[in-house]
Amino acid sequence: MTLLHRLGSVLGWLFHRKRAEQGLDDELQAFIDMSAAEKVRDGLPPAHARRLAILELGGVEQAKERVRTYRHGGRLDELGRDVRYAFRLFVRNPAFTVIIVLTLALGIGANTAIFSIIDSLLLRALPVKEPGRLAIVTSTGQSSWTYPIWEEIQEQADIFDGAFAWSTYNSRFNLTPGGEAQFVNGMWASASMFSTLGVAPVLGRTFTPADDLRGGGPNGPAAVISYGFWQRHFGGAPDVIGRTLSLERVPFTIIGVTPADFFGLDVGRAFDVAIPFGVEPLVRGLAESRLDGRTSWWIWVMVRLKPGQTVEHGTTVFRGLQAQIREATLPAGQTATELEDYLKEPFTLAQAATGRSSLRSQYQRPLTVMMVVVALVLLIACANIANLLLARATARGHEWSVRLALGASRGRLARQLLTESLLSAVMGAAAGLLVADWGSHLLLRQLSSESVSLELVFDWRVLAFTAAITGVTALVFGVAPALRATRGAPIDALKDHGRGNAGTGRLSVGNSLVVTQVVLSLVLVVAAGLFLRTFSSLASVSLGFESDRVLLIEINAQRTQIPLEARVATFEQVRQRVLAVPGVVSAGVSVIAPVSGAVWSRRVEVSGSTIVRSERSTGPEGFGRTDARIPEDEPLAVFNAIGPGWLSTYGTALLAGRDIVERDGRTAPRVALVNQAFARKFLSGASPIGQTVRTLRLNAPAARNIVGLVADAVYRDVRDPVLPTVYVPLAQYDGDATPVAPPEVTLSVRTTSPSPATLTRSVSAAIAGINPNLALTFRPLADQVNDTLIQEHLLAMLSASFGVLALLMAAVGLYGVTSYAVSLRRTEIGIRMALGATRGAVLRLVLGRVSTLVAIGIAVGLAVSVWASRFVTTLLHGIEPSDPVTLASSAAALALVGVAAGWLPAYRASRLEPTKVLSDI
Amino acid sequence: VAKLDIPQGTLELMILTILAREPMHGYGLSQKLASLSRDNFHVNPGSLFPSLYRLEQDGKLKAEWRPSENNRNAKFYRLTPSGRRQLEHHRQRWDRIAFAIASVLEGA
Repeated sequence: MTLLHRLGSVLGWLFHRKRAEQGLDDELQAFIDMSAAEKVRDGLPPAHARRLAILELGGVEQAKERVRTYRHGGRLDELGRDVRYAFRLFVRNPAFTVIIVLTLALGIGANTAIFSIIDSLLLRALPVKEPGRLAIVTSTGQSSWTYPIWEEIQEQADIFDGAFAWSTYNSRFNLTPGGEAQFVNGMWASASMFSTLGVAPVLGRTFTPADDLRGGGPNGPAAVISYGFWQRHFGGAPDVIGRTLSLERVPFTIIGVTPADFFGLDVGRAFDVAIPFGVEPLVRGLAESRLDGRTSWWIWVMVRLKPGQTVEHGTTVFRGLQAQIREATLPAGQTATELEDYLKEPFTLAQAATGRSSLRSQYQRPLTVMMVVVALVLLIACANIANLLLARATARGHEWSVRLALGASRGRLARQLLTESLLSAVMGAAAGLLVADWGSHLLLRQLSSESVSLELVFDWRVLAFTAAITGVTALVFGVAPALRATRGAPIDALKDHGRGNAGTGRLSVGNSLVVTQVVLSLVLVVAAGLFLRTFSSLASVSLGFESDRVLLIEINAQRTQIPLEARVATFEQVRQRVLAVPGVVSAGVSVIAPVSGAVWSRRVEVSGSTIVRSERSTGPEGFGRTDARIPEDEPLAVFNAIGPGWLSTYGTALLAGRDIVERDGRTAPRVALVNQAFARKFLSGASPIGQTVRTLRLNAPAARNIVGLVADAVYRDVRDPVLPTVYVPLAQYDGDATPVAPPEVTLSVRTTSPSPATLTRSVSAAIAGINPNLALTFRPLADQVNDTLIQEHLLAMLSASFGVLALLMAAVGLYGVTSYAVSLRRTEIGIRMALGATRGAVLRLVLGRVSTLVAIGIAVGLAVSVWASRFVTTLLHGIEPSDPVTLASSAAALALVGVAAGWLPAYRASRLEPTKVLSDI
Repeated sequence: VAKLDIPQGTLELMILTILAREPMHGYGLSQKLASLSRDNFHVNPGSLFPSLYRLEQDGKLKAEWRPSENNRNAKFYRLTPSGRRQLEHHRQRWDRIAFAIASVLEGA
């Protein structure tokens, strides 16, 4: 048969469906007439003859049905009818439909949402040429390098297919010349970056080695901007090449625009502007440039492996150059042991196809936990759908019998059920798509208040996968029981209706589904309990300062003409001016803002201390952001440089001695305050006043006299134990990058207003009165504190919502299975009541069964929870993974929900009228 | 005597053969089949009509409504050229099968 023929037939069916049906009717009628006429001729009475003729035909409707299935287009016809019928069914029973579709939507949507984030953050390869050949240069536990080391590597880049360096350290560039800053996400790039990555510009060109010369290229400083920034800031102007962009008050010429999908190399942080390392001295000022800093670890280095070269082979080749590179970049001012360590630390290449991300280590575990949670939700959803469909299949047993009797074939019924299941799955998947899209963006916004920019690509694989799982569940539990119900002769099924002697096989399937649901729900509820308790314990940690009503103002003096020596004086002037602003109670300057994540730590020697000095430290030592633990047994302490008024602004109590005052200037005797944790660690709790503290460094400045003891306060993170802290006067600042004064300080302002951000404008104006070129960033302290708990808050919120959802679904499941059991045992219950069972006894009978199921579920669930909770230990705070209170209350919640869900059917059973039930038999 | 079911796949061949001689309606066809098979075959209309419809769909048969011998309107089927080729093909195949089976039975 030709294709044309077939097509014609289908089209013919579409257009002449009515006529075709009519023709079939007529033809069958003619057949019956002629057959009957002949039988009458043979001597049968007309009525009898006709009946016989119909019987011979095998039933008019059955014959029609068989012809229809043979006709091309008939399949389509059936499909159309199935879909319409399924829709009618859905509309007739909206609650059922809504529950199924919602369950599916949440299961599918939540999984797709979380996986989309995991995929973008952890799994997706960079949008560059052959990302599989990229490798990042790392060393023991870290991957940042100094610029001199990069310069050495660059010399040897031809052992690979190129190498490049980039950095996002201190690269929020100010677009405005002064006052409140407007920042863009910058990126330092070596000239070779774009060419090695194989990223071609959509407009203009990328960097050449000439652009990367110290002090800028021959045509002045050049910048490459991202597609997003081009659209946002320049409205996609085609003549953007050659325009000037002011960054940190340095004019840059825009030379190129990168493709839309290239966000840089840091997943979760899209760059706006890339500038060459060579112009760094112009931007930071020659005095504070890090290009020659042999102890400034601030850049990352990647190489492109040669085709076929493995990471291991690359590492071997690279290590051959290790000694040469290390020797050439030896840092000054280090002890012999430190230099020895420096020379020995081996270079290692690591696969870097997915780029790097600071978010990764932070969110990998919580995201994995959420993935497990939503996967459990999906399982519960499947169990729930299975249960609902089982119950409905039972309810529809009668319908199937009738349809079979009316001529439907078994295959036809199966197709009908298949259509219904698929339709639910399709509707669920569509709703899931919405949930996923909305959920993933909401989640991303919640993840961090800092602008995380992740290109969330919808993961169709996950959507398809989850839709398939739920679809198959719907199929198995929707179609199989119905087919089993129709296996017998239609007449048996018809007779059977309402008698309640169906097999118990289906009931046991339902029971095990419910037990599974209870187990999974309990696991989710326990997880929710653990995360909620973690969050509340962190939220109630004593900070050691009052975070309300404090406004933090980051003041950057790097781009002002103020000489280094005058900076501290300027900061004090600013403070005095701000104190005069109405609504300001007190103000103080510090180098480190609490809970900002920044750490300034040093090995110290304390007079009268029992802690021995050590040659090297396993903890972090230096100035910067790090999550590394401060070891208990090493003489490490953290530092902050504070000005007058700082302690009182924070409300941190001075327990003994004196506060820092203006008298403590650069030339005055060197002093320090320490906190209780410091006294405990170094002096076994004895009074520190009168003792001295000295940093353990080559060429370290003289020791300081400890003149005061202050109360413990949170320094970096509320999760840390209180760190031993040394407070030094800002005027006596001796951090080593810029020994005289820090480039940036934080002014903390205590206000009378409960929303301190309202003072932004007046404070900003007051500071501009001192120097309009100071760059300012405002942020309420309370926000900063809350932000550190976002992860716990999010985990607590999400797991709590999913926990409640799981409880609800478990309740629906229990209710369904109990109602079904009661309907099967109606007769039995009626007989029992007729024989004298009280209503209470019936209630106990039914509830007893429910309780057994719930008890089994809880027992298994507790065991699973205890086992599974080990995996979230690192996400918990102030609570044991197998916290008995959480376990007990979760079990109690489930038991309560279980009994509540079983109560209604049990109550109904106890209200049965025995006479009515018995008369039905 | 119990009637035989028509062997799988042979109904079409018989329909085509009968209709090759003269156009016929469904009832006539079923009667003809019964009489030609000397009442050995039980022709179930429930499978006769689907076969007729399929052959019509495939362009092997062409149908038209016209009055029957006793003046009742009926749908008459006749063979198309393509139907004739199909019959030829079926027929040759059937002859081979019959010959092959006969050979096996005699040779055994």
